[in-house]
Amino acid sequence: MSKTILHIDDEEEIRHMLADMLGASGYRVLSVGSRLEAIRVVERDKPDLIIADLQLGEADGLDTIESLRSLMPATPVMLLTGVLIDPVVARELLEPKGIVYLEKTQPMARILDEVRRLLQPAG
Amino acid sequence: MKDHTLRRVYGLFLVIFAILAVIAAYALRSLNRSVASTDWVNHANAVIYEAEGTFASLQAAEGALRTYLLTGDARDRTSSSEAYALLDEHLETLKALTRDEAAAQAHVERIEALLRARVGFAERVETARAASQTASVQALLGEDAGSTAVGEISREIERLVALQATLLTERDRQAFLQASTTRWVVGTGVAVNLVLFGVVAWIIRDDLQTRKKLAATLQASNELLEVKVKERTAELAATNSQLVAENRERRWANQALEHQLRYNQLIVDSVHDLVFVLTRALKVTRVNPATLRVSGREQAELLGRSLGTVLRWNATTPLDSFGANDPLAASLRDGRELRGQPAELLARDGRAIAVILSCVPLRDRDKVVGGVITLQLTPASSTPSAA
Repeated sequence: MSKTILHIDDEEEIRHMLADMLGASGYRVLSVGSRLEAIRVVERDKPDLIIADLQLGEADGLDTIESLRSLMPATPVMLLTGVLIDPVVARELLEPKGIVYLEKTQPMARILDEVRRLLQPAG
Repeated sequence: MKDHTLRRVYGLFLVIFAILAVIAAYALRSLNRSVASTDWVNHANAVIYEAEGTFASLQAAEGALRTYLLTGDARDRTSSSEAYALLDEHLETLKALTRDEAAAQAHVERIEALLRARVGFAERVETARAASQTASVQALLGEDAGSTAVGEISREIERLVALQATLLTERDRQAFLQASTTRWVVGTGVAVNLVLFGVVAWIIRDDLQTRKKLAATLQASNELLEVKVKERTAELAATNSQLVAENRERRWANQALEHQLRYNQLIVDSVHDLVFVLTRALKVTRVNPATLRVSGREQAELLGRSLGTVLRWNATTPLDSFGANDPLAASLRDGRELRGQPAELLARDGRAIAVILSCVPLRDRDKVVGGVITLQLTPASSTPSAA
């Protein structure tokens, strides 16, 4: 059975492109544009991976991630953002929380590699 | 079947039928000859029979005549007459049978002449006997005693019989030759036809084998083509997938670039200091909103103009006062940063706003392509002087 990925981004074009790429790689992708929708999907579909942007219109991405992790603490999370953050600082901040940080400027292949790595069976 | 094979088969069948027709015609001709030969044998035997019958009748008639001569009985005379009549019948039959054969007819004519002479003699004797002229009868018989007439008739008849026997032998030899020739012709024809049938069968078999080989080759070719089509389809599908992936990657890279540019623009636009982007010739190519706001100028007034039209070192020193030694020009020429230089920005309303100028050369692959000027407002900027 294919793994389910929840992607949260307020830009429709980004959602569409990522869903296209991940869908072509065999994943089931649920794309949403807001924090509320994301919470509904997590409660209903229990995704295997959450990919979130840092800016979600009215909501903050990190807060959203915190809310979702409280519902699914074991689910890996990737912060995929175009907001320029110093990578070293971002990793120092996010890695202790189990969140992988990637910039949207990274090639899709790199994002896909990271998705595969996060969805690998443990052990 | 291929055209030339069909033509060869049709041609061979034509030859076979022609040979069969020749054989049939020859066999029919032989049959007719055989029937004719049988008729002729019967005819020859009939001639022999009649010849021998003629002689037998002659002997019977001679016997009856002599009996009559001895007895003088009228009944014996009748018997003698009947015997000669029978002899005449045999002779007539013999003549009829030999009328188309010149050699036999010559014999028959001689036989007839001899018989007529003999019959004449018999009539004379018989007449003398009937008249009881014994002396005359004796004289006639005496003459006949030394006669070889009957012997000549017998020999002539033997010659006729011998002639018929010779002809029979000759016909028999010809019939044998005919039969042998017929056997040879029929046998040869049948053998040739069998060979031709064999050739036809071989041609058809060869054609079928060629067809099988062609079919097998065609099938192998089709299978190979199918494999190649599948491979090519797979290659095209893979190429298509790769193109789709590349296209997707390109679109992603474009959006990332746009995203980054937008952020950069946001950052530049958010800077409180005044920012000018210049070419190496000090032409303005870009300004930030703070510059427009502070100078009160429109973007169109600044872009493409020389920086000297809106900036000076001080009231008496325009930017180009130092020529090649101008610090700003030198900074861009030499690729050195320039920091903390006091200067004045000329606002649209004529005010000269005091600023601290810094310049960072823009490098593109070790080549200075322009520079970024930042103007920091000083406390004195709030009390501008007239230009």
